[in-house]
This record gives sequence, C-alpha cells and structure tokens, in this order.
Amino acid sequence: MRKSKTLLLGVGNYLMGDEGIGVHVAQRLETSQEIPGIDVVDGGTGGFHLLEFFEQYEKVILVDATLDGKTPGTIRCIKPKYASDFPPEISAHDIGLKDLVSALQLLDRMPELYLFVVSIESIQQQGMELTEEIEESIPSLLEEIRSVV
Amino acid sequence: MSKRIVVDPVTRIEGHLRIEAEIENGKIKDAYSSGTMVRLLEEILRNRDPRDAWAIVGRVCGVCTSVHSLTSVRSVEDALNITIPPNAELVRNIMYCTSFMHDHVVHFYHLHAMDWIDVVNALKADPQKTSALAQKISKWPKSSPGYFSDLQARIRKLVDSGQLGIFSNGYWGHPAYKLPPEVNLIGLAHYLEALEWQKEVVKVQAVFGGKNPHPNYLVGGMACAIGIDDVSGINAERLSLVKSILEEAKTFIEQVYIPDLMTIASYYKEWGSIGGGLGNFMVYGDLPWNGYRDASSYKFPPGVILNKDLSKLYEVDLRNDGDVQEFITHSWYEYKGGKDIGLHPWKGESKIKYTGPKPPFEHLDMSQAYSYLKTPRWQGHAMEVGPLARVLVGYARGREEFKDVVDRALKTLDIPASALISTLGRTAARGFEASLVSQWALDFYYQLVDNIKKGDTRMANMDMFNPDTWPKKAIGVGHAEAPRGALAHWINIEDKKISNYQLVVPTTWNASPRDSKGQLSAYESALLGTPVADEKQPLEILRTVHSFDPCLACAVHLYDEHGNHINRVSVLEA
Repeated sequence: MRKSKTLLLGVGNYLMGDEGIGVHVAQRLETSQEIPGIDVVDGGTGGFHLLEFFEQYEKVILVDATLDGKTPGTIRCIKPKYASDFPPEISAHDIGLKDLVSALQLLDRMPELYLFVVSIESIQQQGMELTEEIEESIPSLLEEIRSVV
Repeated sequence: MSKRIVVDPVTRIEGHLRIEAEIENGKIKDAYSSGTMVRLLEEILRNRDPRDAWAIVGRVCGVCTSVHSLTSVRSVEDALNITIPPNAELVRNIMYCTSFMHDHVVHFYHLHAMDWIDVVNALKADPQKTSALAQKISKWPKSSPGYFSDLQARIRKLVDSGQLGIFSNGYWGHPAYKLPPEVNLIGLAHYLEALEWQKEVVKVQAVFGGKNPHPNYLVGGMACAIGIDDVSGINAERLSLVKSILEEAKTFIEQVYIPDLMTIASYYKEWGSIGGGLGNFMVYGDLPWNGYRDASSYKFPPGVILNKDLSKLYEVDLRNDGDVQEFITHSWYEYKGGKDIGLHPWKGESKIKYTGPKPPFEHLDMSQAYSYLKTPRWQGHAMEVGPLARVLVGYARGREEFKDVVDRALKTLDIPASALISTLGRTAARGFEASLVSQWALDFYYQLVDNIKKGDTRMANMDMFNPDTWPKKAIGVGHAEAPRGALAHWINIEDKKISNYQLVVPTTWNASPRDSKGQLSAYESALLGTPVADEKQPLEILRTVHSFDPCLACAVHLYDEHGNHINRVSVLEA
C-alpha cells in the first residue's frame, strides 16, 4: 500500500458540513494527483484505527477542522510535539487521535508531524457539502501543504 | 443535605454526555443522563438511494463504523426481500468479530482501565515483583523485569516533563484506587501493547472491506471477489493474513485481556454490588450460522429478561408496533401527535425542539425535556443493552459456551452469580464475550475457507440491485449487536428513495432520559446508590457510566456548545 514516505491524512466527520474539510481534501487529492509524491488516506472519524498510518510514514500531514473562533477559512499549520499542542477545539472525533499522538510520543515513534487546521464557523451544520468560505480556502490550503511536502 | 454534581462532558467516550447526580450521605440519590449534541442523521438520509445509506451511516462515528453499515444493508435487504449468499454472511461475520474484539479491547484498556488503574502509582512498582506476578497470571512472553523497568522509566520521564498526555485526565491518587503498584504497572504495559494490537486487528476490515476506516459494504452481499489465485481479489495470501490476525487476536484476548480483567476484578469485588441498575436486559441477536433470517442459528441469541429473572425469556419483535417505541417526554423533540405518545420507528419523527436553557448553563431542569436522546422502550419497559445483556441472555438460553465462561469466572473470583448484575459484572461480561467471539471468528473463517475449497465463490446476490425491480413502497428493519448493544435501523422506501430512516442505537437505550411514567433508563438507574468519596473527583460515576461503553456520536450528533472539550465537574448546592 505504501508508495512514498509522506502521508496526507484527512480526518473529520463527512456528515457535518465544514467539519469534514479534512475528508474533502483527502478525497480530492486521492483522485487528482495535484500534489505528487505523497500517499493520501481518508481517515474519516477513524481515531484509534489510524495508528498504523502514523507508524508507516516518516512524515504525516494531518488536515482537520477547528472551532477556534478565527475567521472561517483561516488556515494554520501546527507542528505538534505533544497531544497538548493540539488546539483544544479540534473536531468532534475526539477520542483516539490525541491519545495516539501521546502514545507515539511515549513509544518514541512519532513521525514528523504537521497539522493543518482550517477554522470553521460551526459544527452545527448537517450535510455533506462545504460552505462557500471553506470551499474557497482549499486552493491556499493545498499551496501550504505543498510547501511542507 | 444533598448536593448536585455535574460531570460534563464525561471524558474518554465518543460523543458528548452530561451526567447530573444528587448526592446525599456520600451516595447517589438521583441521577440524570443527558445527551447534549443533536442528531439529524435521519434528515441527511431522506431522499437518498437506499443502496448508499450504508456509506453514510458508516461515517457517523469512528468507533463502530462498520456495524452501522452492516445494519443498514440488512435493513435494505429486509425491505427488498434479498437473501445474501453464505460466503457474504461469513465475511460479514468475520468483519463483525474483528471490529467487536477491537472495540472491547480498546474500551477496556484505553477508555475504561484508567478508572481502575492508577498510572502514577505504577511508578512505585518493583519491576522484579511485577515480572513475577505477570508470569504467575499469564504465559504472555513480554514479562521480564527489564521490560517493566524500561516502561517505568518512560512513564517517569513523561510524568517529570509535566506532559501526561494520554493520562492527563485521571484522578490519580484517588482513594478509590485499590490496585497494588505492580498490577498498575502491568495494566499500563498492556495499555500500550493493546494500542499496537488494535492496529493489526483492523487490517481484516481492509482485506474484506477494501479500506479502513469505513470499509465497504454492499446491498445483496459483499463487494470483495473471491479468487484464490487472483492478485486483486480475496486470494490465498490475503486469507492466510486474516487467519494469522485472528489467531493473534485470540492469543492476546486469552493471555492479556482476560488475565488482566480477572486480576483487576479481584481487587474490586465490592463493585459486584454497585451499579446493577434496571435488571431488564434486551438482545436482538447476531452472528448467524445459517443465514440472518434464522435467529435460532445466532451465536448471540436474542431475548428479553425482566426483573433479573433468568428463568423466563421474552421474544423481541422489531416489526410489531407495540414492541419498540420511542418517547420524547424528556427529549428536545416534538411529534405531530404531541409530547406524550410513543412512536414505532417505521412511523418515527426526528423534529428537534430545543427548550432547554441557553448554554452555557449551570444545570438543566429535569422536570422538563433535558436531552437530545429520545427514550426507547420495549413494551413500555426500560431496557439495558450490551455485553451484560448478551451474556445473561446466552446463559438463560442454556448455551453451554456462555455458561462455561461465566461459571468459570464466578468460581475464580469467588463471587455469587448475583454479582454479575453490577458495574463489575458489566465490565467482566465484555471480556467474556470478547473471548467467545475470538473463537467464533476463527470458526467463521474456517467455514469460509471450506466453502471456497468446495468451489462456492458467490459473494453477492444482485437480483434486486436494480431499483426498477423494486416495489413502489417497501419497509424494512435491520438489526445487529453492536459492541455496546442492540442496534436497529428502520427504513421506509418509496419510489426508489429513502422516505424515512430511523436509527435506534444502543446508547439511546442506555443513556436516555426518563419516560412519561418517570421510569429511569439504564445509566440513571445504575448510578443510584453509587458511593462518591470526593464530589470534586467523581471517579465512581465514571466507573459505572464507562462500564456501559457509552458512544454518543451516533446517538446524538452535533455540539451545541462552543468547543466545550475540557472536562468540567461542578458541585452545586441543591
């Protein structure tokens, strides 16, 4: 399965509008080849299921939504070393992901990790579509992702 | 004088749960369970192609993705009267067993164990003694003194750095922790080993379901082609991978999970008389040997037990209007027919009407609606669903496998049978059934290989896949035993589209608010009488609530508060 040393892992809930931004990005990159030289996984709301991906790659680029009160569509890149470096307001699929990072750190098996978070207005939304503001942030998000590949 | 304490959100669960408890003389006198996110999955599914529903419901949460997909395809197959080939049933069973074992082990070590294991206290353990104890309770090879002292050094480094990470939400040092340091250290070692183990187990999902998380299902069967020499299909190499994963899963459950469970339980026997709750148990049944329609062939037999009376079993009929009904007396919903009626899911409605206080609030008014969960009832009775229900129904049905595993554990722990209906019993039952399932998974695997050897490679029945073959209207119900309990989806199909879709999920049975008669649901009932030593650190509440393995991501769906992820416990004078 593994073809390159870098993985883009998009996570989020695809049924909750903008909360699914990570999944939308992963699904787009899976088919479009817009960013060459990386593997792409749609991690969905995977939590603990995602450990194998963290262990298989030297570099992991996570894409997720955050409710940090910033203007919707704001993109931030964090290099989390500990689970506590994750924004506290990160997405609804909260079990698993942070625990995995803690465990990897405890086991000295952390890959080089980049976390791209896109600020969203609300996770009150239902549905599988993104709002216009979030949709429009995707080109700059892809640009920023390219810069760390 | 009583005090009201609020735990919101309950941590180490999937989803958002709030518990309010009245405490008098150190014990819980009254308890309220509230789901504070809303669910509108039903609205997303309306007007979609029924053949796509499995993919949508599989996205609802990260923990039990595939069991929702399984239940969904079963509901559509029921509506369209489709019988799937035996191999597809076996593949579904193997995937089910995999996700079941994964879920129970992750729940025990990663979501529940820290209620019993004091991480910081593990630093005091003597590695020599730890090793001797580990070797006494199991033949699991990772048990040398060096292994434990190395682990201890890592934990010490973590604690000294102030970055407790995974363990940052614990009530370390709480007087209710009773394990010797050596047992704490073993538990911690296995916490980490279980993390590695779970990552291997889920690979079975990808073999048969094409990917993980969120594996593929198919109305009519499964989407994986069998071809022993085919590079892209289910070939000999992939089958042998599945076999080795299932064997390793069984070894881990037998040599790590069960010995740990029994050892930890032996220090907490008093929890055999706490948290019993309703005494009513319900199982829809799962793991068919002879096709989904033949309920008598289920490895998990269906049935209902009332008032702890194992001598009498009742049958559940998911089609009968009066069997399963959902009430909204204390829920933030409205029905066209008013607040006091119950609706069978085929006639179900999901219209939200929030009438609670504007968040953030101190406490909810429990005389009114106080949850986004509806209140399901079976013939008017509140029901507990989940591992304890399955084990008791299996036992009451006289199934030898269940009797054997239960009787052996009761003897080892030297506790009476009545201790099963408790927080301890619920947690133990999860282990019992994980051990049964680990064997059944292999049985299903061998049957599948046997069928293939005989030349049966059928994996899907596509006779009714084309919507032009469907009746104008159809209704169906699909059920499964999700790791945390009985799950069913009811579907109404009209003009080839979904006209109504209702999910009644296990956590709704267990965590729902009171009904119109004031009857408590399982969590609320189980919390009554639970001792609370320190109101600011209500570890005991977590023990009982976690023993049900709450998962509210599918029971309810959206956050209604802004980023409220930090654990908050408030003590209010009542």
